Parts: sequence; structure tokens; C-alpha cells
Amino acid sequence: MSALGDVGQLLLTANLWQAVLAAAVLLLLPALGGVISERSGVVNIAMEGMMLTGAFFAVVADLAWHNAWLATAVAIIAGGLIASIHAVVSIQFRADQIVSGIAINIFAAGLTVFLVNRIYGLQDIGHIGPTEGLPYIDIHGLDQIPFFGKVLFQQNVVVYLALILLVGIHILLFRTRLGLRIRAVGEHPQAADTAGINVFLIRYSAVISSGLLSGLAGAFLAIGVSNTFVPNMTDGRGYIALAAVIFGKWTPFGAFIACLIFGLGQAIYDNNSTIHISPYLLSMLPYILTLVILAGLVGRSTPPAHDGLPYVPGSE
Amino acid sequence: MPLGSVLFAFVVGALICLVTGANPVDAYSGLLCGGIGIACAQGENSALQISNTIVFLTPLITTGVAVALPFRAGLFNIGAEGQLIAGAIACTAIGVKFSGLPSPILLPMVLLGGMAAGALWAGIAGLLKATVGAHEVVTTIMLNYVAQWLLRYLIIGGPLQLREGTSTSLPIGHGARLPTLLPSDNSLIIFGLPASVYRVHTGLLIALAAAAIFAFLLWRTSFGYEIRAVGQSQKAARYAGISVRRTIILTMLIAGAFAGLAGAIQVAGVDHNLTDMYFSDTTGFDAIAVALLGLGSAVGIVVASLLFGALHAGGSIMQSDAGISSNLVLVLQALILFSIAANFVGAIRRGLPFGRASAELPPELPPAAGLMSEAAVPPPEPT
Amino acid sequence: MRMGHKRLRFVGLIAVAMVLVVACGSSGGGTPAKTFKIGLVTDTGGLNDKSFNHLADVGLEKAKTDFKIQGDVKESKTGADYIPNLTDFASKNYDLVIGVGFLMQQAVGTVSGTFPNIHFAIIDGAGTDANGVDLKHSNVVSLFFKEQDAGAMVGAMAGWLEKNGKSKKNQHVIGAVGGVSIPPVNHYIAGYKWAAKMEDPSIKVLVGYSNNFNDPAKCKSVAKAQIDQQADIVFQVAGGCGLGALQQAGQSGVYGIGVDADQKDADPSVIASALKKVDVATYTAIHNVVQGQFQGGALTFSIANEGAGYAVDNFDLPADLKAELDKVQGQIKSGALTPPADIPA
Repeated sequence: MSALGDVGQLLLTANLWQAVLAAAVLLLLPALGGVISERSGVVNIAMEGMMLTGAFFAVVADLAWHNAWLATAVAIIAGGLIASIHAVVSIQFRADQIVSGIAINIFAAGLTVFLVNRIYGLQDIGHIGPTEGLPYIDIHGLDQIPFFGKVLFQQNVVVYLALILLVGIHILLFRTRLGLRIRAVGEHPQAADTAGINVFLIRYSAVISSGLLSGLAGAFLAIGVSNTFVPNMTDGRGYIALAAVIFGKWTPFGAFIACLIFGLGQAIYDNNSTIHISPYLLSMLPYILTLVILAGLVGRSTPPAHDGLPYVPGSE
Repeated sequence: MPLGSVLFAFVVGALICLVTGANPVDAYSGLLCGGIGIACAQGENSALQISNTIVFLTPLITTGVAVALPFRAGLFNIGAEGQLIAGAIACTAIGVKFSGLPSPILLPMVLLGGMAAGALWAGIAGLLKATVGAHEVVTTIMLNYVAQWLLRYLIIGGPLQLREGTSTSLPIGHGARLPTLLPSDNSLIIFGLPASVYRVHTGLLIALAAAAIFAFLLWRTSFGYEIRAVGQSQKAARYAGISVRRTIILTMLIAGAFAGLAGAIQVAGVDHNLTDMYFSDTTGFDAIAVALLGLGSAVGIVVASLLFGALHAGGSIMQSDAGISSNLVLVLQALILFSIAANFVGAIRRGLPFGRASAELPPELPPAAGLMSEAAVPPPEPT
Repeated sequence: MRMGHKRLRFVGLIAVAMVLVVACGSSGGGTPAKTFKIGLVTDTGGLNDKSFNHLADVGLEKAKTDFKIQGDVKESKTGADYIPNLTDFASKNYDLVIGVGFLMQQAVGTVSGTFPNIHFAIIDGAGTDANGVDLKHSNVVSLFFKEQDAGAMVGAMAGWLEKNGKSKKNQHVIGAVGGVSIPPVNHYIAGYKWAAKMEDPSIKVLVGYSNNFNDPAKCKSVAKAQIDQQADIVFQVAGGCGLGALQQAGQSGVYGIGVDADQKDADPSVIASALKKVDVATYTAIHNVVQGQFQGGALTFSIANEGAGYAVDNFDLPADLKAELDKVQGQIKSGALTPPADIPA
């Protein structure tokens, strides 16, 4: 099998792993949001919609103000705002969290295109200039390390940020009092309430955080990786991120490994100019892999005990 | 309650129109015209609009059932879309392979084949749920993607491709096609238009029968009782001697069969071949809203399908008559979902399905929770 | 109901008279002319696809300013919308119903059969039956493009740059990033590869697909993989997705080539664009209807009739390259060279 041999060769190149990391980070940011939200007990399948919203507002803001950082801030806020709808509906109104999440995704898909149509009409939405997007930065010195320099230190600024967030969120969740509280709220909200933790506050903050992270991911996609908004440009990444959350057993590093696997599938696929494998069958691979891994390789994945359950004060 | 939710959505939708400088009256009269053929501004034919709505709502009924049935067992089937595609693929494969067979043999073959394929697709998720506890929301999402890419593989370069350079399949045999209710005849004029524009087909009757079967299964059979018992509390169901695993697998199999039937009906009744359009189909996702809006009852699902079919059909009239992007329809659908979901509490208080009966009773799990693990096992500690 | 021959002839006479009156009226500018109703149905890409749906709408808008027409648009949300959207316009007696994209072939075939008195145009396709056979309805005009002509011009440019060491890496490797492997995409790539090889026989043309039309990140990484394999010119044939390929070309310091419309604004690295003038085709179809010159059959837009071509973008074209491109263009125009529709080996 020469195709297999070619893939083997490819796996040894730094170029491939550079692409893997970049693709993985697009999934990692929403996945980290998913981890925080679900650890607090709120199922979040709305990352797709939050990310799309972020992507749209990042482009609108960057085109208006020609400042990528300002645009990223706008995208993050937009992600947070749309997440707060999910928070209100699912925490305050105790609505089914999956339904609310799906509604967010449909809402974002419809609203962004509707607004493109209303704001820009027939005009092309336009392009962000090469110096007005989120920059790619080679970390001076470190980028010269053989192999790893290219993979780790010749990336977009958001990639570095995401890796810092990965470590930070891991520490937050598992090494701080706040993290303990978040997990307590996801596991035993009644007990946490009794212990004086404000369950609603924690859950609101967690869900909105997931929106902020997804909004950042959207900005990265639209004004970092790309330079414009295209309808539905998130292309299902929020759903893959959700799979990564579960696949990674609701831990930041577990989710990151899952994102790397999806990123690897994507990066291998991207070499279809030189490695000829049926593109359609290859496109299926990451999804089948997820199924196989869920089926047994990682064993049973157990969510936080009260993930998906609305909290009713005074119940039980 | 559902009526209030819909009303709420339209009010918010109107506000969005106003804020963005669109005229909500124009928007909604466009939707009314395209949906049910009234208030037409440009002389649209009412019968045609109603016929289009019915064509859209037909697959929504069966996929709505495919989502509603697992809901009752506390399972969330996001995979109706993948199951629909699997059904469409099987229907096409059989309809092409045996295209010479007469209708009384071939038509049942393609419909049953579609059901079997949909059942298989959902059954994978059910099996994984029942045996290793794999989250069916994730497995069904994954299976949706696999079905989409399988579809593309089959019709672009794969065994079902019409010929090199196309992205459609061969057409199914005439015996595999569902007849339309009105003759597909261009010289016959009905309601001022050639009869073949009215594409309503006998699949509608099959879909309505499926809804009736759903109601019967759920409320009049012991298996329906088991489904509802598992949905209320897996623990209690187990004490009552019900095999939770068996119920989960069977429920998903049956749900998948309904969704697969929708795909088969769509190919046999409307398209007659498999095209890339199934790659971007959204019926299985609309079905989630339909199942919720219909409160999981057969009649409710049919009515909700009517609403969503009408919205879908209405969007295009709204756009061409009022110049307002048909994406507004997606916004409205989302708003309907929000408001139904947020009103759940009220529904539960009145003893309607999906939720806690009251604070004192043991919690009756809503779908989101039901799909999670049944036992409160502590999550793994990080290493 | 069949009309008697005499009566038919009488109706015919009236019709001729009316045409004359209308013709005189419009030339004289006195009596108000009829407002023509034009309906445009996009495929699922929608109006903001940065590709042919958008260009078709541009053509419609231009026609709106030039002629007395009412132009209405319907975006198809799913493939199931094609038939109802086309039918709605046809049932309201629109003077021309335009379907955008070859995915709509079967729908146009069906609806044009139902409404034999309504004029239809379809971009990138014909009105076909389920077997993909052109039904040749006399009320349908197919607007075909020789994308391979446009592809050949940018391919010649890329090949010449490689052969003469005027590119960025000059390793005789160039790339093309397609969306999905379907005819309108592959025609472009066929012409590109063929012409590049004609200019530079030692060239290696990497052809990849993103399997996507709307996610720039996907095309970007396919382009990056090609650039990592030494490609220094990347041709995007993937609509909105392909914008990512152009951006990657800029980031990697190589050249990009745009598609469909002039994409010089997409990135400074874009040295040329292969043009497929869907706007011109749409405008032409509307023009023909307004002028009463509608004719069923096929209109092919190519270099010969300036319906396809290329634009030089952020690049100073060397004089000898300009001369070479003019030569190739002339030969394609005259028929001395015929770019292939299928990607050569």
C-alpha cells in the first residue's frame, strides 16, 4: 500500500504537525468552553452557534475599525452574549439544555446570514487586510529548534493563547477552590448550595465562559485563519468540539488529545493532492474513529453527575 | 402553551425585522402566502403553496416521530438526519438494482429497505448506549457525518454514480416510485395550473399512518409502557423487571426505522434519485423542534410538522415578494425552540411530559439528563 | 382545448401586431413598455457565496438598471427547494426564470416541462431528466462556460513563470485547490494543468480538494500542504472556501490565483484571476428576453465571446509573458488550441 507508506512519511514531517496543531486549536477553544460548562452541570452543544456568531462579529468589527484585537474583543463579547441566552433559558427557565443548545445553533446560522444580507446587501462582505488580522508570530529563538520549533513556535497568536488557556483552565478546574466549586455544582448542586456556593452564579459564569471561548475561536477562524466571513464557515466544528469534550472525559487535556486526533485526520486529508485516498472515505475517518473509541477503547465515559439537570433550589 | 411559544417567536422575529429595517408585515404576509396560500401579494396560486407545504411536512412527520419516540425513553436522537440519509441511500440502492421489478414488489422493498437502513444506523447508537454507555448525542452526531460522507462517496465516483462527472445517482425504477395524489399530467389543469405542479404524494398517507403507529405503540402496547418507564426512571424500570438495555436498543432501532422511512419516502415520492442535495438536508434537525413542539404526541407532531413545513415553504415566497432573506425562517424556528424549551416548566406543572412532576417527587429526568449516565458515578479524577 | 386553425391564425396576427406596436413604442419612447419579470433561484450556496450565485445576482442587478424589469430572488435553503422555487416564479408567469448551478439541472428539466410557455435559463447546466439527459426543451436556454479556457490562461501564466524562473521558489511545482470534484470545478483545473504543462513540460501540478465550499480554513490547509510540497503558485477553485487558499499563498510568500470573479482584493498575493462571467451570462439571458430574442438551446461563454477569461491582478506582467498570454488567448480564440474539459493525466 503506497498510500499508507506516504502517510507514514508524512507523519514524520514538521509541516504536518504544524497543521495538526492549528486545526486542533480551532476545536480546542470551544471544547474548553464545553468542559467548563458541562463541569458546572450545563450541557452545551451550542458551541457551533457561539463560534459562528463570534466569527461574524469579528469580521464586521474588523472591517469597521481595522483593528484585530478590538474585533476579537467584540467577537468574544458576542459569543458571551449569545451564551447568556443559553444560560438564561437553561438555568433560569430550566429548559432542556440540549434543546436550547440546538436552538442557539439554528439561531446563529440564520441570524448571521440574515444580517449579512441586511448590512451588506449585494456588496461583497469584504476582506480583512493582511496586516489587520490576528497575526502569525514566530517565537524568536524557539522557532529554530529542529522539528518542534516549526510545530510549536511558528503559529498564530491564538494558538499560543489557546495552549496557555488549556493549562490555565486545567489548573483552574482541578487546583483551585473555584474549580472545586464548579465541579461540586456539576456533581451535587444541592450539597454545594447547602455549603453556601451560589449554584446559579457558578453555572451562569461557566456557560458564559464557554461563549467567550467559542467567540474567540470564531475570531480565530474568521480573522486569523481566514480573512472574511462566509456563511456557515464553522462547518460543524462546535459539534466536533462537543465530541472532543466527551471523548476527553470532561477534562481539558483529554479534550485536547481528542482535538489533536481530529486535527490529525484533517491534516492527513489536506494532503490529498499528493496522497490519493478516496476523499469521501477519508473524510469519514475521524467520525468513525470517534465511534470506535467511544465504543470501547477509552471505556465508559461518565459525565458530571448533574450534567444536564436543571437545578431547582430546595429540591431533594 | 405551544401556541404561546409560536406567538412569542413571531413577536421577537418582528422586532428583529424592525431593528434591521425590514417590514415585518411584509415578511409575515410572505410567510402566510408561501405557507398556507393566503395573503398573497403577487398573485401566487394558493393550491400550489399548500401543496408545497404538504410535500415539506411529509418527511417531517416521520422524522419527528423518530425523535419523539426516543425522547420518551429519555434518549436524544440527534441522528434522525443520518438515519434519513441511510434510508434514502438504501431506497435508492434497491430501487436502482431491482429497477425492473413491478411496483407491488419493488415499492415495499424500497420502503422496508429504507427502514432497515435507518434502523441499522440508529441501532449502532442504541447498542453503544446500552452496552458501553456511549453518549447517544455524540454517537448520533458522528453517524450523521458518516452518512453524509458515505452519500457523497456513493454518488461521486462511487457505485451509485450516474456516470463520470455527475453528482447524482442512477434513477430508481418506476416500480419503486410512490404515486402522486393528483395525476402527474401537464395537460390537465387543476386550480389554474398543470396538475403535475402539485407534488403531494402517497407518502403523506404513509407518514400519517406512521404517526398513528407511533401513538399506538407508545400508549397501547406493553413495549410502549416500557419505553415510558425507562424514560421516567431507569432505576424504577429496572426494579419493575424491565430490561433497560433491551428497551434502549429497541427504541433506537424503531426510531431509526421511522427516520429511514422518511428518507425512502422522499426518494420514492419526490426525487426518484439520490443527489448531493441530501448532503445539505436539514429535515432531521427540524424534526427535533417538531418533536418538542408537538409535545411528543402523534397529533402534536403532525400539527408541528405543518407549522415547520409552512415556514420552510413560506421563506422563499417571503424572500421573492418582500425581499427579506429566507434565513429569517431559521431565526423564527430557533425562537420557537427557545420559547417552547423555556416554557417546559409550565408544561410540567400541568402534568405534561418531559420533566419533574414536582419538587417533592423523585426527579423525572428531562431528555438532556436522561441521556447522561443513569447512575451518579463520580467523574474520573484528572491524572 | 384546441383552437381552430382560423382562430389560431387570427390570434397569431394579433400577436404580430402587438409585437410591432410594442417595438415601435419602445423605439419611439412614447407608450410605456411592459415591465419584464425576472426570477432568480440560487442554489444552496446562497447569495453571499462569493461565487457564482453572487455573480448571477450582480448580473440581475445590472439588468435592473439597464432595462425595465422586476427582478426577484429566492435563495434555496436545501436542495428540496429547487422545484418549488422555480415553480413559484413560473406559475406567476415570469418572463424568465433563472436557475443557478448544475445541481439544479433536474429541477429545471422538470419545471420547464410543466410550463412550456415560460422561459428558463440555467447556469452551468441543462434541463435534464433523472438520467442526466438533456431534455432539450425549447423554452430552456443553457448557459455553459468553458471554464477550461479561463483555467488555461492562468495555467499558461503559472507555467511560464515556472519555466522562466520568475516565480517564488521555481521548483516547477504549482497547485490547484478544488472544492468538490464536480465538472465546473474540474474544467478549470483541466485547463490550468494542461496549459501549465504546455508552457513548462517539466512542471508538476498538485491537484487537491477541500470537499467544501464555505470553510476557508479547509482550503487554507490544503493549500499549505501543497506549498509544503514546493508549490509556489496556488489556484483556488472552491468559492468561499478557496479564499483561505489565497490567504495561505500570501502568508507563505507565494502567488495565488483567484477564481470566478476578479479576486485581487482577497489577498495581495493574488496575481491573477480566472474569470467565469456568470454576471455577463445572466445579463445576456435577461437582455435576450427583454429584446424578444429568447432562443432555447445552449449559449456557451468562452474566451471566444469574452464570457470567460482572466484578469491580471496585483502583479506587473512582464512584456514577454504578456506577449505569450496574448498568443495563447489568440490561439484558443481561433480554435488552434482547445483546452481539455477533463483533467489530463
